Amino acid sequence: MKQAHFGTTGGRALFSGLLWTAPWWLGFLLFLALPMGISLYISFCDYPLLQPPVYVGTANYQALTHDPVFHKVLLNTLVYAALAIPLGTIVAVLLAALLNQRVRGQGLFRTCIFVPTVVPLVGIALVWLWMLNPEYGLINGAVRLVGPVLDGANNAIALLTGHRLTWLGELAAGPKWLALPGWAMTALVLISLWGVGSPVVIYLAGLQEIPEELYEAAMLDGASAPRRFWHVTLPGLSPVILFNVIVGLIGTWQIFALPYVLMRGEQGPQRSTYFYTMYLYDNAFRYLKMGYASAMAWVQLFIILALTAAVFLASRRAVYYRGT
Amino acid sequence: MSIRSLILVVALGLPAVGLLAFGPRGRYGVPSDRTVVRYWEKWTGVEGQAMQRVVDRFNATVGAAQNVWVEYNAVSNIEQRTLIATAGGDPPDVAGLYDFIVPQYADQGALRPLDELARQAGVPIDAWKPIWLDICRYQGQLYALPSTPYTIALYYNRELFRQAGLDPNHPPETIAEFDEDVRRLTRSEPVTLPDGTQGQRIIQAGFTPSVAMLGWWPWVWPCFFDGHLWDGHECTLDTPAGRAAMHWLARVREAQGIEPMLAFEATAGAIESAQNPFLSGRIAMVFQGPWLSNWIAKYAPTLDYGVAPFPSVTPERRNAFASTDVFVMPAGGRHPREALLFLAYVSRQDVMEELCREHNKLSPFRVPGADFLARHPNPYIRVFEELAASPCAFGYPSMPMWLRVIDELKVLLNTVLAHPEQADTALNAAQQKVNEVVAEYEQMAAKRRGGAP
Repeated sequence: MKQAHFGTTGGRALFSGLLWTAPWWLGFLLFLALPMGISLYISFCDYPLLQPPVYVGTANYQALTHDPVFHKVLLNTLVYAALAIPLGTIVAVLLAALLNQRVRGQGLFRTCIFVPTVVPLVGIALVWLWMLNPEYGLINGAVRLVGPVLDGANNAIALLTGHRLTWLGELAAGPKWLALPGWAMTALVLISLWGVGSPVVIYLAGLQEIPEELYEAAMLDGASAPRRFWHVTLPGLSPVILFNVIVGLIGTWQIFALPYVLMRGEQGPQRSTYFYTMYLYDNAFRYLKMGYASAMAWVQLFIILALTAAVFLASRRAVYYRGT
Repeated sequence: MSIRSLILVVALGLPAVGLLAFGPRGRYGVPSDRTVVRYWEKWTGVEGQAMQRVVDRFNATVGAAQNVWVEYNAVSNIEQRTLIATAGGDPPDVAGLYDFIVPQYADQGALRPLDELARQAGVPIDAWKPIWLDICRYQGQLYALPSTPYTIALYYNRELFRQAGLDPNHPPETIAEFDEDVRRLTRSEPVTLPDGTQGQRIIQAGFTPSVAMLGWWPWVWPCFFDGHLWDGHECTLDTPAGRAAMHWLARVREAQGIEPMLAFEATAGAIESAQNPFLSGRIAMVFQGPWLSNWIAKYAPTLDYGVAPFPSVTPERRNAFASTDVFVMPAGGRHPREALLFLAYVSRQDVMEELCREHNKLSPFRVPGADFLARHPNPYIRVFEELAASPCAFGYPSMPMWLRVIDELKVLLNTVLAHPEQADTALNAAQQKVNEVVAEYEQMAAKRRGGAP
């Protein structure tokens, strides 16, 4: 292979290429690669930020294995991701399918779904803080309207099984959303649906890509609307679903602002709304354990990479790419 | 470009150009011969304006004479930003922090010791009440100066006292009296519970230590049982005082009803609003600072309330929690001499007391000016001042690892409030966790010093 020297034509081309792409690669090196390298080194140090780092080997990584708070935030984040991603995906796909229908006011409906995503997260959290107030909140006001129906259902369950479902009873009475561990997590998952507008837009774009002929063929074969959705829409949309699931996975593992504002900087009842990135932040900037926080950041990166790889592997047979 | 697009561009562009041309902008009026002292502070709004006036007066008088210009910057998350700026070698010359952060920063060598510097600059530290100096010291050395100090007392709703058949001129003085008052001031009504059984719904609570309902200091209760959390080496939760405090919290909670109280506390609204539970009469007694009278004046001006010392297990000891916002000089600041000139000016009794009055806080001086007390917005300011003068006044534990410890203490309080029967177990667990935190911190500190742990 011929080497390119800066004096030759190829070398000059390489030089101008590097020069013109310098804003990117310089930025990449200075603001991403270098900090990541430093962070990797610091993860093997005790570094209280105001004093020089002291090398401690793998002590930070070992400490993670027997830190109960770390285990708690790991579990909280896993549970949140396991609930928010599937629920968000289902709701977004269904909304996109509805918004794809040619009806009057289609643009208005699409706008209504998308607008909440441009509201700053802190504003959303403050509004939800009010809406979730057990006594004065809009959510419990609405829940109490259907309270008698839920109570009736609970009574029927009690007749059949001999005991009432406590969670259904709490729901009928209007839950203490942010005060009890189970309900606090539920509240956060429900609020996450507020930002469903972004994936909906991507799903809408994906729906436009599904060839009309496939629907026509399915109709000729006598497929009903649900079967067309199941056998045409979903396979056609599967690459977009995969993309959104991975983006959602990364987002949920980085959740910070919403629970932080919602719980007024606290960790929630029995640390139930204390998430991975919040604990990482506390370690770095409140406890001054920058080494420990860096170790957490690297573990987080590998968790996200592993989960992304797992999703890719699991999706091999489920994702349909046109032309393959 | 179509006419519509043109109109749109003009409609959006004109305000932008207007903002650029005539909008708010940074201060450009620094005279060229002045040394600029960078002062970062957390205060915004009314409090920020009060401090800005102090800065302006300094710049117009002492600053003009000494060629110093103080640049006031309101900074959010000031602890983190000061920390990062200090670590980066470009800290502000003066920063306004919270007192509980001082031991952590001082232990890391991030703050300039002030004993000698303050005396040389004429800061009247001997004229201050001893508690404020104690709070500003870490391991015997002065690292901060009090800016706007406060103590915390018991606010009680006199009208609710009357309704409960209690004497509004006799707030509780002992823990036993307090428990009895809480019992009589807590009112509930019958309600059907989610499991179909009959229960109670609290409509008015006598008191709650819940953080969500104005109990902002979840660690403080053992101190009213004559306990101390920190002896300089060990964090002592599991002491007779600590255990008595947890048992007291558990007892009060059980008497009020665990589930009804949790449900009641879940309804907490915004504190700085008419939904404040003390202002709306939903809580009869709260543990709060002098600033509460600002919100009362704004949202419930007709509220009939009183202020008294919080009861102690030994009433004659008059235990009192005291805290203060502080000025510090981060290590590495470029203009220490000029910064001290400013701090000496702010620490003058007339200047300091005007600032403290505008912030609805206390005077740090042993003998507050008559004008300060007479014109203070809180009608009960003398109660707070007397608490600060108490020999049993105490501040935050002077622990460099306090922020880790307080998180464990919050978990402890929440556990006791939700499961009072687990008070002892929770206390043991918290003690163990806190021991680990302290041991880990000291081990690493020793390693950094190069000595044996």
